[in-house]
Amino acid sequence: MPLLECKGLTRRFGALIAVDAVDMRLEPGEIRAVIGPNGAGKSTLFNLITSVLKPHAGEVVFAGENITGLPVYRVARKGIARTFQLCHIFPALSASENVRLAAQARDARRAAAIADEALEHLRLTRFADISADTLSHGDQRLLEVAMAIAQKPRLLMLDEPTQGLSLEETDRAVQILKAMLRAGDLSVLLVEHDMEVVFKLADNITVLHRGRVIADGAPAAVKADAAVRSAYLGGAD
Amino acid sequence: MSWRLALALVAGVALLVPFVVPQYSLTVIVSALIFSLFAMSLDLMVGYCRLYSFGHAAAYGLGAYCAALILTHLQVPLVIGIALAVLVTVAIAVPIAWICTRSTGVSFAMLTLAFAQLGYAMLFRFRELTGGSDGVVGIPRPPGPFGIDWFQGKTGYYYLVLACLLGSYLACRAIMRSNFGAVLAGIRENEAKTLSLGYNTRAYKTATVVLSYGVGGLAGALYAGFAGYASPELFFWLTSGHVLIMVVVGGAGTLVGPMLGALFFVFLEHQLSQVTDLWPLIFGSIFIAFVMFFPGGILGLLRRRHAAA
Repeated sequence: MPLLECKGLTRRFGALIAVDAVDMRLEPGEIRAVIGPNGAGKSTLFNLITSVLKPHAGEVVFAGENITGLPVYRVARKGIARTFQLCHIFPALSASENVRLAAQARDARRAAAIADEALEHLRLTRFADISADTLSHGDQRLLEVAMAIAQKPRLLMLDEPTQGLSLEETDRAVQILKAMLRAGDLSVLLVEHDMEVVFKLADNITVLHRGRVIADGAPAAVKADAAVRSAYLGGAD
Repeated sequence: MSWRLALALVAGVALLVPFVVPQYSLTVIVSALIFSLFAMSLDLMVGYCRLYSFGHAAAYGLGAYCAALILTHLQVPLVIGIALAVLVTVAIAVPIAWICTRSTGVSFAMLTLAFAQLGYAMLFRFRELTGGSDGVVGIPRPPGPFGIDWFQGKTGYYYLVLACLLGSYLACRAIMRSNFGAVLAGIRENEAKTLSLGYNTRAYKTATVVLSYGVGGLAGALYAGFAGYASPELFFWLTSGHVLIMVVVGGAGTLVGPMLGALFFVFLEHQLSQVTDLWPLIFGSIFIAFVMFFPGGILGLLRRRHAAA
């Protein structure tokens, strides 16, 4: 049984069909990247899976259960943790308070220990007592990932974890993420713009273009796909 | 100076107050303490959830009128009457809170104002029960239970109010430092993220509003028992405005700050109203000055001086 299955997921914004009958499966333990040019519908797809947006058609099945349209907080409680494209943290709280609040949602009694562990995984321990808004942009993004893993999710969803980072920061973030992903048997759905990052992290790739899935498979196959090449090289029409 | 030491010191001084001040001053002091409790209750919403209620008079008025009606119609001791009034206020607050937390910001402020004005209007609609513009007069302070009657005199009532204020403060402080308070901090900082972490943020906000109404209702009930009457102005939007100003000037999100703000304004009003009718003008100027120059409020100023020393 797949961990996550999207069936015919569709969402319109006025006349624009942002996500158009998308079918996608994620097996337990799989790391899958969703890629595509700007406006392909990647973030909308994320928001549909996590119920931030309601689909106009189709359904989201998680671990065999239809979770379409559940309130956001109940989707999270099913075991789906996510980061946002625009970093979402609690700026005035310390890094460890940020992560503890995430851990508390899952296991209030062990929250402090889980938070310490998550900070360590993302190599943020030395910032534990520092107010989150004073961290560098790169470390803020890693902090949000730490919060997500502190939720002890069955599915981790990362929305462009390296967006806005410098080359050096990206390299470092990818290293840390790779170590983290290989260490646990997490199932991960990853939206990413940077192809380098995708090929370093993902087992499989789903390519979206104008809301539709145009390719799906292992990185090497996707890289060679003619439709993908034309979408990315600007020959979109 | 540690928190415990400061608390013990303040409590010690407060216990001695009735022995050193004249009886007529005690009236102002009790009113000020009741308003401190009221301001602290609003701080739960404003300071901890950024929910700016512009209708907190509803909590005060509900508490006061419930206590007034219970004490004049039922044969129950004062403390039982006050406790029942708080329970009724909480029960009425649940649907109000649920509806108001549908929205945030200005809409939240307007909804809370609407409910307070609804309460105000109902006082005139059900005149037989509420006495209309005359209010409920001649509220007794029946003794008991177990023959306890020390709160019937002014000094005794002072201690009753002091105990309620201290107890509520310690309870609210504990709640705001618990896991519940941590989630409120998350809502204040980034509600969308808090929701996506798996917290039903609306339930948390509703609980906070209900708690705030409960404590505010306690303040209103204590006022009714102290003054011996309840009048419509308790429900009026001016009361909501005054208490909101006290919270902001005192220092929102600190519990202690709004209490200081309330003490400050009650004493200021008492002094100035003897000198000039223009005291609301001074009241307003102080408010503007604090918003512009000292956003941390009175407590923020005190802390800054403490840190500098």
